[in-house]
Formats: sequence, structure tokens, C-alpha cells
Amino acid sequence: MELVHTSHEALRLLVNGDAALWQIVWVSLKISLSALLLISPLAIAAGYLLATRRFPGRRIIVVGVQALFAFPTVVVGLLLYMLLSRQGLFGSLQLLFSQTAMMIGQMIIAAPILIAFTLSAVQGADSRIRETAIVLGAGRLCTAMTVLREVRFGVMAALFNGFGRVISEVGCALMVGGNIAGMTRNMPTAIALETTKGEFAQGVALGIVLMVLALGVNFAMSWAQGAGEQHR
Amino acid sequence: MKRAVLNESVVSKRMLNLGLQRVLVSCRGLRRSVGVRRILDVARLELERGRTYLLCGPNGAGKTSLLRVLAGLDAARCDTLQFDGADIDLRNYPRQMRTQLGFVHHHPVMFSTSVFGNITFGLRAAGLSREEVRRRAAAAIAWAGIQSLANRPPQALSAGEKQRVALARVHALDPILYLLDEPTANLDGSGRIMVTRLIEAIADEGRTLLIACHDRELLGLDGVVRLHMCEGRMDAAP
Repeated sequence: MELVHTSHEALRLLVNGDAALWQIVWVSLKISLSALLLISPLAIAAGYLLATRRFPGRRIIVVGVQALFAFPTVVVGLLLYMLLSRQGLFGSLQLLFSQTAMMIGQMIIAAPILIAFTLSAVQGADSRIRETAIVLGAGRLCTAMTVLREVRFGVMAALFNGFGRVISEVGCALMVGGNIAGMTRNMPTAIALETTKGEFAQGVALGIVLMVLALGVNFAMSWAQGAGEQHR
Repeated sequence: MKRAVLNESVVSKRMLNLGLQRVLVSCRGLRRSVGVRRILDVARLELERGRTYLLCGPNGAGKTSLLRVLAGLDAARCDTLQFDGADIDLRNYPRQMRTQLGFVHHHPVMFSTSVFGNITFGLRAAGLSREEVRRRAAAAIAWAGIQSLANRPPQALSAGEKQRVALARVHALDPILYLLDEPTANLDGSGRIMVTRLIEAIADEGRTLLIACHDRELLGLDGVVRLHMCEGRMDAAP
């Protein structure tokens, strides 16, 4: 009975456009999309370089990137907290408990996913694509852009995966964001807070939004992978 | 069968008029190893301007490796390499050399744009103006007789059509040396004839060709120089 009542209340909040609830959704999307937008060019370039260049230590970097996949987000939050706190190396920047700190955290979390997925997509591509671009006189940047365009579905899968990871992570956001209402409270931290307060309706409503986003991302990923298969 | 190369005296006269050197590629001591295995060990190779060379030999003889090294796709060591009179360091392959030679893979790969987009790729990479790109692409399409394919997605092309598009894509860049890796292999009768005609047309333009092949049709062309490779070595240098 309690569950039915809570679900009904959650749907009412969503349909009636509850300002507090939708602001949390907005903060989440803004931070996660900005983080992804900022880190994507660097991470995709790093993935491409790791896939196409041979240099001493490359293997160690690849293993390191893959290991960071499983790195707990709360540990990323802890390290970032220590760096950004008043006594930390970057304490003077006063970034702790800000959207910028959350963005930095999410960039660190998304980077290994983007790098590893791009690396895998480029390594899986037909080597003749890159060679053909080279022999037709393309420079390094043009060759890279050509290869990335040919593996665009793999790169899109990387972006969707990265977004799925950062939009739903709670550990780092809670530690460096501080869960400040209207500023750094995003969907996962709000769900955690509302649940501890016993206010389940808003938590369930945000959970529905998160699930819709997660499903959307999964559909998009399946589409990207399917389109990639068809493209071959 | 029409002669595949220009008459030698005609080529010599043209070179004299243009002040060009007779030898386009001169190479000594070209070596490439993979692990402990030496896959290329060419003591001497000279390619004269305007000639067509057929690189024959069994599978694994090093034909493709030689083409790839000359195209700058694989690393190799070379005592001396001259291209068009200029010394070339294979460890630091110059980009301007790349624009002067056209390499076509055994199974050419197409970028996932249209056929027209594939043909304009190298022209756009060279930074030519939009008008010049269109003009040269249209000329290359007409040259290869692939007007009907221009707007087709490359995935829909047959092996023979892909080979013709690949030749047109390289021809648009007007290279002076063509490196073709088994251009007629795995093609049906009509595809092989059309590709052979394009190769003859390139030779008639006075360009130099180095073709790795097993094809009897190409081996039977008049005026070509046949080179034989075995276990990475050139049996008889020209």
C-alpha cells in the first residue's frame, strides 16, 4: 500500500512539473553533459593515439586505463576532496562543494571509459582505412578524423557509456559536491538524501527519471552498435 | 593487345624536354625484418620513368612488403634511396613523396561516404580549392568510366568496381609512380579487363607503374619489365 502511495506521489511530482525536482534533473544533466563535452576530445584523442602509436610504456598505460574502469567513484571523490580541500594542493582555488568540482570528478570517472572504448573501436577497425588515408596524402589530424569517422558508432558507444556512468554515480558527487540544494544536488545524491529522510516520493520520481535516462542511453548504445554492425 | 607502355624513345624525348632524370627510383640495400625473420632483402632496385614493372613471385616472396615499404606504410632500412633525384630517408618518410606516388591495396577499402567523396578525399587533403577538387574528381570519374557509380554508397560496389574507384581515387592526384598490389586478383573476367584497360591507360600517360601480380593478362602485356622476387630477394635487378 505504501509503495503504491509513494509511486502515485512520485508520478504527481513529475507530471505537475515540481520545480525542486526538475531543478535537480537540470543540475544533473548540466554537470554530466558539460563534463562529457570537456573530456571527450582529450579522451578520444588519447584512445586513438594509444591504438595507433607504439611507444615504450604503452602497454602499461593501456592496462592502467582498463584498471581505472573498476576504480570506485567514491575513491575518486576522496582523492579529489583531498586535493581541493583547504589544506589540499589546489585548496586556494576554492572549488570544493561546487559544480566545477563535480564536473572535474565526473571527467576523471568518464575518461577511462572513453579512452578504452575508443581504443577498442580504433583497434578493431580495418587497418587499411588509416593506411588509405595516409597514402592519399592526409596529414596526421586528417587521418585521425577519417579513422574516427569510420568508427563513429564505436565512439558513440563510448560517449553513451561514459554518460551512463557519470549521470548515475553518487560517491564522488556527494563528496566533492556536498549535496547543496539548488547548486550541487544532482539526481543520485538527492535520491540518497531523500531516502535517509524517509521522503520516498521525490526519490522515486528522480529514480524514474534516472531509469528513463539509463534506458534511453542503453537503447542509443544498442542502436549505435547495431548501426556499426550494419555499416560493416 | 595494346602496348602497355609508351615507346621508350618517346619517353626519353619527353624527359629530355622536361629536364627529368631517367631513373625515378633508385634503391640499394633495402631490408625489412619482422622479429628475427628478414622478409625483404633487396640489394638493388631501379625503376625508370615511364616504364611498367611487374613484380612476380610466389606468395610470401615479399612483393607486397616491397610496395608497402616504398609507399611509406612499413618501416625498413635502406642504404640509399633516391626518388626523382632526391635522397629519401625511410625513417622519416617525406609527405611530399607520398603525394607523388599512388598506392592501391590488394583489396581496396572505401571510406563510408559516396564514391564521389572517396575520389575527392586526397584532393581535399591536398588543400585544393573546391572548384579544382570538383574538376579533377569529375575528370578522374570520366577517366575510369564510373559516372554511373558516382553517387552510390561504396558498400554497394562489386570488387571490380571498388578497384576502378580506387584507381580513379589515386589517378585524381596525378602521381608519377603507381604502386598496385595485385590489382586484378579475385576479379571476374569483365572486371579484370576493365582494370587492365585502366592500367594500360596509366602506362600510356607515361607514368611509372610497379605492379605486384600473378595475372597472366598483365604478364602478357607488351613492353613491361618483369621482376621476380623470391624469399624477399630480387632475382634479377633491372
